[in-house]
Amino acid sequence: MSTAAETGTGTGTERASAAGPSITPVVVRLKLSLLRNGLRQSAGRRAAYVASAALVLLFAALQLIGLIALRGNAHAASVTVLLVAVLALGWAVMPLFFPSGDETLDPTRLVMLPLRPRPLVRALLVASLVGIGPLFSLCMLIGSVIAVAHGAAAYAVSVVAVPLGLLVCLALARAVAAANIRLLTSRKGRDLAVLSGLVIAVGAQLVNFGAQRLGSAGLGQLDPAADVLSWVPPASVVGAVDAVSEGSYGVGAARLALSALALAGLLSLWSRTLTRLMVSPDSSTLPDAEPARDRTRSARLGRLLPPGRTGTIMERSLRYVWRDPKTKAAWVTSLAIGLLVPVFNALQGTGSIYFACFAAGMLGIQMYNQFGQDTSAFWMVAMTISSPRDAYVELRGRALAMLVITLPYAALVTVLTTAMLGDWPALPEVLGLSFALLGAMLATGAWSSARFPYSIPQQGYKNVAPGQAGLAWLSIFGGMVAAALLCVPVIALTIWLNVTANGDDWTWLLLPLGTAYGTGITLLGLRLAASRTATRLPEILSAVSKG
Amino acid sequence: MGGAAVRVQGLWKRFGQQVAVAGVDLELPAGRFIGLVGPNGAGKTTTLSMVTGLLRPDQGTVEVVGHDVWRDPVEVKARIGVLPEGLRLFDRLSGRELLAYTGRLRGLPGAEVDKRATQLLDVLDLAGAQHKLVVDYSTGMRKKIGLAAALLHNPEVLFLDEPFEGVDPVSAQTIRGVLERYTASGATVVFSSHVMELVESLCDWVAVMAAGRIRAHGPLAEVRGEAPSLQHAFLELVGANARDTGSALDWLGGGTR
Repeated sequence: MSTAAETGTGTGTERASAAGPSITPVVVRLKLSLLRNGLRQSAGRRAAYVASAALVLLFAALQLIGLIALRGNAHAASVTVLLVAVLALGWAVMPLFFPSGDETLDPTRLVMLPLRPRPLVRALLVASLVGIGPLFSLCMLIGSVIAVAHGAAAYAVSVVAVPLGLLVCLALARAVAAANIRLLTSRKGRDLAVLSGLVIAVGAQLVNFGAQRLGSAGLGQLDPAADVLSWVPPASVVGAVDAVSEGSYGVGAARLALSALALAGLLSLWSRTLTRLMVSPDSSTLPDAEPARDRTRSARLGRLLPPGRTGTIMERSLRYVWRDPKTKAAWVTSLAIGLLVPVFNALQGTGSIYFACFAAGMLGIQMYNQFGQDTSAFWMVAMTISSPRDAYVELRGRALAMLVITLPYAALVTVLTTAMLGDWPALPEVLGLSFALLGAMLATGAWSSARFPYSIPQQGYKNVAPGQAGLAWLSIFGGMVAAALLCVPVIALTIWLNVTANGDDWTWLLLPLGTAYGTGITLLGLRLAASRTATRLPEILSAVSKG
Repeated sequence: MGGAAVRVQGLWKRFGQQVAVAGVDLELPAGRFIGLVGPNGAGKTTTLSMVTGLLRPDQGTVEVVGHDVWRDPVEVKARIGVLPEGLRLFDRLSGRELLAYTGRLRGLPGAEVDKRATQLLDVLDLAGAQHKLVVDYSTGMRKKIGLAAALLHNPEVLFLDEPFEGVDPVSAQTIRGVLERYTASGATVVFSSHVMELVESLCDWVAVMAAGRIRAHGPLAEVRGEAPSLQHAFLELVGANARDTGSALDWLGGGTR
C-alpha cells in the first residue's frame, strides 16, 4: 500500500518537474468550473453574483477615474500608498471572515492527490488571480501607478510594480488563510465569521469618520503615515514608482526589492504551512485543548435568578445571548444602534429627547421569533410544554431574561440622552414612554413568536431561511407597527399633557403610568401567546427547523 | 406489565404529494426492547415524531401508556423520553448545563437533577467532557448526552430515533449497557434503526416498516420465521432480494489495471 503511494507521488512529480503537463491550467480550470457550477445552482445566486460584479466593476472604474484625476496633486503619492496599504489589509483580513469563499484554494481538499508543494503553490496562486477581487485590486493598482508615475523610467517600473503588488496581496491572503485554517474550519472560526458583518459595519463607520476628518483637515494629514507605509510591502510598489518619478532610483529599487522579498517570504511561508497541513490531522480529530470551564461562575449566575423553571429558562436565554454567535450579533447590533441613534442625534444638536425611546424599541426586537432563535432544539422545549400554563412560564422566563438587560439599558440611554440635552424635567415622561414601548414590544414579540415563527440558518449571514422572508417581515414589521399602535394611549397622554396649560406639572405621572401600562400589556401579550404556543407546538417546531 | 405501551391507529402523514406514513396500525407491548426497522425513507422518523407529539398527524390516533398524545399531553409528556434524529440540542450549553436545564424544565427538584446528572454523566463516560459545550461534542457524545437528557426524568417509555447512527463501537456499547439495564427494570424502549444485526441482537420485539406501512410485527423469532437472519427476513419482506451484479464490473479486482 505504502509503496504504491510512493510510486504514485514519484511519477507525479517527475512529470511535473520534467516540464510536462503542469497542474496550473488544471487548477485554474477547476476554479472556473466551481465558479460556474456555483452560479448554475440558483438564479438568485447568479443574480447576486452579477449584481455584485457590476457594482464592484463600477466602483473600480470610478476609483480608477478618481485616481487618474488625482495625478499631479501634491498628495497623490500619500493617498495611493495608503489606498494600497488598506487594500492589502483587506486581503489579509478577508480569509478570516469569508473562509469558504474559495473551494479550490482549500488545500485540505487536495490532500489525497500526489502533489508537491512548489507546483501546488504556483497553481493555487495563479488560480487565485481569477475572480472579482483580484480584478478590483488590479484596477486600483493601475490607477495608483497612473496617479504617481511621471517619466519613462517610472512607467517601466510600473509594469513590474502592478503585478508584483497584486501577487503580494494574493499571497498574503493565502498565507493568512493557510496559517489559520485550523481556526477557520473549527467551530470558533465559524462563530467568528458570523460576527464579521458587525466588524465590517463598525469598520465602515470608522472609515466614514476618517474621511470626514480628512475632508475638514486636508490630505496633508496623510503624509507622515504614507512616508512609513511607502516602505511596507505591497504599498512599497507604489512608493517605488513614486521614488523613480522623482529620480531617486536607489530608493525605488529598494522599495521594489522589499515587495519582491515579501512575496518570496509569503510564498515560502504558505508553502511550508501547506506541507504541514497535508501531513497533520485536521481540527475534527484533535481533542479540544480548551480548559474546562469553571463551574463557580455559572453557579453564581444561577443563584441570582429565581428558582425553578423560570430561573432555568432565564439562565439558558442569557447564556445564549453570550454564547450563540447569531444571538450575540443580533444583541450587539440592537445595543449599539439603540445607543448610537439617540446619542448621535443629541451630539449633533438636532436631537429630541424622545429619540431615547429608540433603545427600548431596538432591544424589544430581540423578543421576536423567540423559538426561531432556538432552531430545531425547540423540540426540547416542546417536550416540556403540555399546557398553556407551561407555555406561559416559558415565554415569561424569556421576557424576564430580556428585561435583565433591556430595562437598565433603556433607562441608562434615556438618562444619558437627557443629560446631553440638559432636559431633566422631561426625564420621567421619556422613561415612562420607553417602558410602555418596551412592554408593547415584548407583548407583540411574544405573540408573533407563537404566530409567525421562522428559521434562522446557523451558517452564513442570512437571518431568514429561504422561503420564509415574507413571514419574517410580517412578524417584525407588523409587530413593530402593532407595538406603536398599542402605545397610542400613552403617547396621546404625553401629547395632551405637553400641550395643555399647566400640563407640564403632571408629566411625571407618565413614569408610573407608562411602567404600569407596559407591564400590563406584556402580561396580556404573554397570555395570548402562551395559549397559541401550547396548541401549535408541532407547527412551530417544523417552522423553526428549516435552517 | 403485559398492556400496550403504545397504541397507534390509522396513522397518516403526507408532505405535499409524498405520502410518508400511509395508515399505520400498531400495538407495542410494554416492558419490551422494541426495534422499528426499515430502509431509509420508510417513514420511521415521521412515525416516531407523530407518536412523541413532535409532528401532527393528518389522520389517526396515538395512545402512549393509555393516554392520547394529542388530547392528554400532560400525562404523556411526563411519561416519555425522546431522542430524535436530525434535530439539534441546545448545543451552546455544556453537557452538564444541558442536563440541569432539561431536568429543571421537567419540573424535577434542582438537587435531584444534579445528582442524577452526575450519575448519568459517569455511566455514559461523559464526566470528562461535562464542562465542554455540546456543539464541540462528537456524534457519539451527542447521542449519549441526548440519551442522558431523555432518561433524566425516568420515563416509562423511551423513544430513540437511530440512536446508534454514526456512533463509535465504544459509545455504542455504553449506550447498549444503559438501555439493557433500563429495560430490565420493566421500562419500554422503542428505537428505530436500519442496522439489522443490531436490532437482532438487542430487541425481543420488532416492527418492520417500508414505504410508509408496517410490513410485519411481533416477537423477533416470529418475524424472522424460517429465514437464517433478520437481515434475510427483512430483505424478503421489503422485496429487495440481492441483485446479481453480473458481468457489469468484471474489470474490478484481479490484478490487471
